[in-house]
Amino acid sequence: MGGVRTTGDMVMRLQLSKKMRIDEAKRYVADKLGLTLEEICDVVTMSEVREERGFGLGHQEPCTESTMGMEAKFRIAEALDIRINSVERFKEHAGIK
Amino acid sequence: MTREEALKLAFDSVVECDEDMARKALAAGDELGIAPLELLTEGFGAGIKHLGDLFGRGEIFLPELIFSTEIMQLAASAIEEKLGSANTSAKGKMVIGTVEGDVHDIGKGIVAALVKSNGIEVYDLGREVPADVFIEKVKETGAGFVGSSALLTSTMTVQKEIEKKLQEAGLRDQVKTLIGGAPVTKRWADRIGADCYCEDASDTVDYILAQLGN
Amino acid sequence: MSEKKYFTRMGDGSIVYMTAEEIWEDMRAGMDDAVDRGKIPPLSEEELQKIFDIVTMPGGVVGVNPIDAVVTTSDSGSDKIPTKCGIPISRDTTAMIHERVLGCDSVDIGNPDYNYKTAKGIAKREAGILKLALDKTTLPLYYGAMPNLGFYTKPDGPVDNWAELLPQGKIKEALAAQEEAVEHSVNDILFVAKQTYEVGADAIELDTSGAAGDADFLAALKACEKITQKYPEMPVIIGMAGEFVLGMHGKLEYDGQRLAGLYPHKQVKLAEKAGASIFGAVVNTNCSETFPWNIARVCTFMKATVEASNIPVHADVGMGVCAIPMCENVPADVVTRADKCLIEICRLDGL
Repeated sequence: MGGVRTTGDMVMRLQLSKKMRIDEAKRYVADKLGLTLEEICDVVTMSEVREERGFGLGHQEPCTESTMGMEAKFRIAEALDIRINSVERFKEHAGIK
Repeated sequence: MTREEALKLAFDSVVECDEDMARKALAAGDELGIAPLELLTEGFGAGIKHLGDLFGRGEIFLPELIFSTEIMQLAASAIEEKLGSANTSAKGKMVIGTVEGDVHDIGKGIVAALVKSNGIEVYDLGREVPADVFIEKVKETGAGFVGSSALLTSTMTVQKEIEKKLQEAGLRDQVKTLIGGAPVTKRWADRIGADCYCEDASDTVDYILAQLGN
Repeated sequence: MSEKKYFTRMGDGSIVYMTAEEIWEDMRAGMDDAVDRGKIPPLSEEELQKIFDIVTMPGGVVGVNPIDAVVTTSDSGSDKIPTKCGIPISRDTTAMIHERVLGCDSVDIGNPDYNYKTAKGIAKREAGILKLALDKTTLPLYYGAMPNLGFYTKPDGPVDNWAELLPQGKIKEALAAQEEAVEHSVNDILFVAKQTYEVGADAIELDTSGAAGDADFLAALKACEKITQKYPEMPVIIGMAGEFVLGMHGKLEYDGQRLAGLYPHKQVKLAEKAGASIFGAVVNTNCSETFPWNIARVCTFMKATVEASNIPVHADVGMGVCAIPMCENVPADVVTRADKCLIEICRLDGL
């Protein structure tokens, strides 16, 4: 699906954490983000959505200040209403859980 | 009992791992005047080949195959006794091993067991075997078949080395080389000059028996 | 006028040209082989026609509609650039490359010595590398290795080598050795799972489960069960080895089902039972057969597996499996056609 260029990473998370099949996982992500199936698979649409909502990007320029990595995963976990292990362990290690 | 029935009895004795049945088949072969080698290859040997095919399809499992090879060996020993020692060498010798740097020997072990059960003398060198050791064993035993197994793309190159060292030792024309293992293909066999690419244990046995038949 | 011939390949990557009739004949033969071995339903005529259309499609690369794209997992993904390509970069950097340059949906951190016995000895170091990568990346990132039960045999491990005992006729000893190796393997996998869970791994992968036979598969299933019980927030991915479980033991069972001889559509049910989140299915590529033969066979097996499964199924489309040729540089013409067939005909959840 293109990973962080679209929503491939998010769809993948639903397969892992909730064992969702591909169509169900895509629908779930689309519903949670308030987008269509076509939009969540589109690189141009999702580049803008990801930048605006802080879901992490595959490119750094021209948006160096945009979220990436752990900060993006915090936002993804909240938007999709899932627990991401690296986020939970980060909170524990940072003493904010 | 007819000739066909005797051969079927021999076949069934291996498939069903039945020692009594095997002995009856041997006795029937004597009574009917069936050539011992014919009884071995078309009766008992056909049974082992059938089981080898079933094993390759996942329909029987290795311990069952091993039990059957014991029946096969019982039959082979009895027939060799009849033929006398002069004929035992006709069945051939094979040196086999997993190549240097590679510890995967499950497939190689299966091949060795199946080849041995067909009356071929097998010298199993084990795993992580350098090319030189293959060549030394060929010199020592006079083996006509050299089988090498490699499960990694990084260790396949030893199979090419074996070909080269056989040439250098002046032994290449005296042996047939067989190669196998997950990343090995016929294309690789052709590239390095190996005589035969063996997809599985049955392929190995078929090739060796065909060569001995010739 | 000579009949039109289509470009395709053999299972070892060699180029061949085939007529439409030859392609159809091979497709049917490949499918029939799968039906016979797996005791599974055949593909429909419509599905076979679709495979034919994909095999004979013009173009070096073919694709699917963006909306139909699936997600990707990998095995030893982050190790491929340094190890295979000889570019000496760290694994956290390769994870970032997979995310930002290659557009992967997920990637694993794996050790070049890709097995849990080795990983156990350096588990904390591996976890440290994983943690570095987890801080920097957004995509799902997991730890992967093979149970590889063979490593537990002497001289590399503590148990007797059943591959040597069996041909010697020492059946009882060989079976006992395998059973002992299972326990060692499960302990090692669990130890690595603990270390990686504690740094935040998004999953753990038990790759090529069954590579050393039914005992190897049992180790993966038992480990999966224990991991999902102990660390419910860490999903488990179970990847297959060969297309059926090799019966090195023959009597081992999981949940009352004998493991030896199981094909993917049966293996997935046990992976599901053990608590796996994703099942990586494998069908062997036959190097002596053509791509049409291989892909029809693969689709027959995969369709049955997807239909049987309640968890996501990812086809392992690597070198030598799922109709991909057995060669180091896999040709895009065949890979993309295999992917397209698997997605459109088998409705795979991922690759």
